[in-house]
Amino acid sequence: MSEAPPRPTLEEARERLRRLGYLHGTVERFVFRRALEDLSGFFVPVLAAGAIALALAETAAVASSQFRYGGSPRSVALLFLELAIVALLPAGVFAAMLLLAAARSRRPGRDAAVSALIAAIGVLAVWLAGTWRLGADRPSTALVWGVPVSLAALLAGATVRAAFLARAFTRSGRLPERPRRAILGFAAAGALSVAVVVFATHREPARPAPPLPSPRRGTVVAVGIDGLALDSRHGPGESAIARMLSAGATGWWDARRASPAEIWTDLATGVPAARHGVRALEWVRPFGLPPLRPPLATAWYFRGVGLAARAVTRAPVSAWERRSPAFWEVAGSAGLPALAVGWWASGPWDGVEVVENREVLARSAGGLDADAVAIEEFERRSAGRALAAVYLPGADILRDDPAGRRAALARLWLLLDRLIARGRRGEIALVVIAAESHPAPGARGRVVVFDGAFPAREVRVRPFDVAPSLLARAGVPAARDLAGRPASDLFPPGSLETATVDTYGDRIATTTAPPRETDREYLEKLKSLGYLQ
Amino acid sequence: MAGSRAPSPFSGGAFERYAAASRPALESALERNLPVPARSAGALREAVEYAVLTPGKRVRPFVAMAAGELVRAKPAGPLAVAVAVEYVHCASLVLDDLPSMDDAARRRGRPALHLVYGSATAELASVTLLARAFETLAREPEIPAGVRARIVEELAVAVGAAGCCGGQAADLAANPAAIDLDELEGIHARKTGALFVAAVRGGALAGRATEGALEALTLYARNLGLAFQITDDLLDREGDPGELGKDTHRDAHRANFATVLGADLCRALVAELLDTALTALAPFRRRGAVLADLARYVRERRS
Repeated sequence: MSEAPPRPTLEEARERLRRLGYLHGTVERFVFRRALEDLSGFFVPVLAAGAIALALAETAAVASSQFRYGGSPRSVALLFLELAIVALLPAGVFAAMLLLAAARSRRPGRDAAVSALIAAIGVLAVWLAGTWRLGADRPSTALVWGVPVSLAALLAGATVRAAFLARAFTRSGRLPERPRRAILGFAAAGALSVAVVVFATHREPARPAPPLPSPRRGTVVAVGIDGLALDSRHGPGESAIARMLSAGATGWWDARRASPAEIWTDLATGVPAARHGVRALEWVRPFGLPPLRPPLATAWYFRGVGLAARAVTRAPVSAWERRSPAFWEVAGSAGLPALAVGWWASGPWDGVEVVENREVLARSAGGLDADAVAIEEFERRSAGRALAAVYLPGADILRDDPAGRRAALARLWLLLDRLIARGRRGEIALVVIAAESHPAPGARGRVVVFDGAFPAREVRVRPFDVAPSLLARAGVPAARDLAGRPASDLFPPGSLETATVDTYGDRIATTTAPPRETDREYLEKLKSLGYLQ
Repeated sequence: MAGSRAPSPFSGGAFERYAAASRPALESALERNLPVPARSAGALREAVEYAVLTPGKRVRPFVAMAAGELVRAKPAGPLAVAVAVEYVHCASLVLDDLPSMDDAARRRGRPALHLVYGSATAELASVTLLARAFETLAREPEIPAGVRARIVEELAVAVGAAGCCGGQAADLAANPAAIDLDELEGIHARKTGALFVAAVRGGALAGRATEGALEALTLYARNLGLAFQITDDLLDREGDPGELGKDTHRDAHRANFATVLGADLCRALVAELLDTALTALAPFRRRGAVLADLARYVRERRS
């Protein structure tokens, strides 16, 4: 009697049947087979596809609107990886809900289609709403992101549908319709190709040639005063300053409520926040990446779990995220010696002496100190500058401290009295900017010019006109792509440069983002001064 | 007996609904097309009716009809294929049960045909049914002549040396103690698989299916047929005779998948074969629902 052959293993039997023409090797059965085998076969594909699609949509939103990321493939890739990990939680919750729904579905075909639609629309919504919310000027190139995001949405939708059907089939015996797997393969390959093309072809825009100035005689001095309520409270100090300022040529605009960083960066750049990118006082910094504003649906992580787990740190506003040059930076690039003291979102710039806002506040215990430090730095360094700017936050910091505020306003009065006298003598062209981030209804922002014997007047201007006006007064041609124009009604005839240039270009940082340690100190200071809760 | 309705062997789902809806037409066609022997032929007519018009699952004819519907064929062509395939199947069962073959005592819940009418009549009934199967196909006007010839050829191959007969001969000659998976598959592929594939392909050909569709359906039929056979062997080893309607453990002395692979391996392979069969239907989307549901039935089959 012949000996019975040994019983084959599953792998051997499978292989032999495959060789005999069964278990067709070319038939892809990833989602469906896995889903039939166990619960993880349903859960894992949805989790993976959902997390990838969500992370891609969020990455696209950040890269489209926060230019530090858009210009750096490494940052985009790292951000995508971190966001993919973060997205595992919402994708997991979605997959679990889907699992329950599929097990109870009485019409799996319809319900699977609805679920797939929800997944796909959700991914697209995160991208679109995220890009919109982050406040970019949405350049046309941002639309290129639509291709990979759409493909990712398609992939997520198809996976959700296939897994839903498979799960419903295992629970109810209702027959699933089979997804076209080839489409998924093409979608993934297409998304990858487009992403490669987008990243490989992206280059930093060429820096335009600096504008050629026609230097004017005397220094242009800009004094920015935050929290000066000239239209509402009119305390004793404010009345005196209001009387003093009424003697200058005044431009005004309707005030609006926004963070001080945004308002004063509007004034410094001549473009809106959608273009310069500075909106909030506080950003977040993911592990190993530059600071960013959290994309849609990630606040729970960036402002909650991630912070608690120390995978994310807070980051205060800085010049790092500003994408448009401030007026002192344009002047410095044009070869004019310039100074900026204490301005929000200011940072090092070649040719300009900059005392950052964080430096001023670091040396201050309160509003009075802040103004004193800023004024001291300004007066010590302003000699010989063609353009000098100082930002004074005292009145704003002391808005709830009447005694302190009176003292701050008294110090302001003294400074302005001194500077206005010099302006009237024609030694300097003084431009006082009074803007408030917490305006009362009907309040106005103002720019008041004391430039020789030019008579008092009042005209309506836009806040974006301030930066080009200061530059034109210093002899620097205004850029035609700014939102504002030089306010010629506020200056003596012939004193403003009339030549223009196409653009000043983007602000391309010459330094890396500020280190975390100084970020922490700055944040503490902003909290202690009442800027942050 | 004619027109008798068996309770549905399928439980829920698209295939059950399809079978329930199609069964009257099929049973009617099976009865209508039965051969009418001469008066002097004795019990041959009764034996043929006994072989065909007994309650059965009719899986093969329904599969042929569903395949035709899947490629949007007019019903008459696939119905003719279904009748021919069922006649061939019934004929093969009669032969299978003979003492010289499996020597089975029960079939479809009743005594085997040769125990009722004798072996000689059983053999004659079987040959009569085979001949009638090809006659039915050859006379079907709804199928174009060229296609008819192709279906007849494929069915003939499924019956002959490369099909049922060859498979049965190999089965009888095999040494159950020494058989391996390859040899066992060869026996199955000819003995039962070939007719299953012919049923699906015949139904689809009657609807002038494209070669791509035929290829997908062949893949489906091969995998489903093997899964069906492995399940059959498992049920023979573990099933309830009352539920099955036939003797169990009759294959214990013959080679079968349950003995060669073991029950666990059989179940694992059945799952993968059915999965592959289902996947092969993917291109047909909704239209493949009936055939796909049959795979679910095989997975849960108890009889």
